[in-house]
Amino acid sequence: MKKTYIAMTSITYAYKAKTLFERNGIHCDVIRTPKNLGSGCGYSVAVRASSEQALALLDKHNIPHKSSYEI
Amino acid sequence: MINFDNSASSFPKPLSVRNAVAAAVTRYGGNPGRSGHRISMQAAEKVFEAREAAAAFFGAETENVAFTANATFALNMAIKGIMQYGGHIIISGYEHNAVSRPVYALSQSRGVRFSVADVDADDDVTVKNFESLIARDTKCICCTAASNVTGRILPYRRIAELCARRGICFIGDCSQAAGLLDIKLSDGFDFICTSGQKALYGPSGTGLLITNGRYPLSTIIEGGTGTNSAMLEQPAEMPERLESGTLNTVGIIGLREGIRFVSEKTPSAILAHEHRLCDRLISRLSRSSRIKIFRMEAKYVPIVAFNVGELNSHVVSTMLSEKGFALRGGLHCAALAHNSLGTLSQGAVRFSPSVFNTSAQVDMLADAVLSL
Repeated sequence: MKKTYIAMTSITYAYKAKTLFERNGIHCDVIRTPKNLGSGCGYSVAVRASSEQALALLDKHNIPHKSSYEI
Repeated sequence: MINFDNSASSFPKPLSVRNAVAAAVTRYGGNPGRSGHRISMQAAEKVFEAREAAAAFFGAETENVAFTANATFALNMAIKGIMQYGGHIIISGYEHNAVSRPVYALSQSRGVRFSVADVDADDDVTVKNFESLIARDTKCICCTAASNVTGRILPYRRIAELCARRGICFIGDCSQAAGLLDIKLSDGFDFICTSGQKALYGPSGTGLLITNGRYPLSTIIEGGTGTNSAMLEQPAEMPERLESGTLNTVGIIGLREGIRFVSEKTPSAILAHEHRLCDRLISRLSRSSRIKIFRMEAKYVPIVAFNVGELNSHVVSTMLSEKGFALRGGLHCAALAHNSLGTLSQGAVRFSPSVFNTSAQVDMLADAVLSL
């Protein structure tokens, strides 16, 4: 199962993303942004989906996001 | 003591609100949006749930709901955020000081021009009064949806249409309307500002600023948001842009339950119940020629303002307090409205019931007033 980490612009958008992913049956956790995704304070989502699928869903619902990576 | 001063703060609060506040103090003591540990994240998730509830209640996007300390903070943020670089603003003659004082302060410090539109018994005239004051540099109309003194409902949807037609920002002070009228952004508000502790049944120290996002606000308070901390510039994203400093998590969690309580009962049912209580009081008090009730042929939220003869309203409210009834006398922080009513010297006594008041309590109050 692929996992994607996406840095969000705010904790509000991180929880909005989590709600969206879970409504679409995709597990999501809100986490502090990992060092390799950005510096300073911030929040990210860890999503059990490919980056292509996860980012497409965010974009479709106009939820802004920053950098991301897939493992 | 029977509380008929619910337009200031509803009391008692629903049991669900009291339980939520107790649970918040017990279980959600972390600082939301400041850390990644579980204590902080649990609090953040509760704040987000409250934000979602408020967004659904007012027809907004979740991120466009900002929690504030009260309606005054929300109104200051909206008014000053729009007007701090000058221009012209129109307010109504029924405004609370939460609107009139920041507008006046801007006129002194930023050269903002302001005009006051008279509120007439006829809504057509009121809307025309607003329209006639629009100038080339008018940026904003800010008015109450319902007066905190008399309960008079202003034709806010029509004023919103006027604003949309003329490309003017519309800020609504919905403190006396939210929870009783079906207030939504789709009514045409660019900003809905409201307190949380009145007809939304939340704890004191809660307020909301809700926007459709059309008019980005300049900030009047900057500080820590838990995001982009390396930057000196305040974040542009809502709601963090307007939420510097630690949030009132306990109050917000309580407000979420208040909104749930109102949603389940429905604003229209609560409104109908409180209107029945107001009608009952008016019916009783109208029998005395000494009592003047400030009502016209117009629409009202459940508030009844009255005076007893020439007695000062503070004296009347004090006498009623001694008999076990809590009503507010004086000017209700709304000198403009009392000036419009001609009651600047006497003030008025304000009766404002809640969903928990009963007809029997109203009858006891009416007896007490009539005995003065």
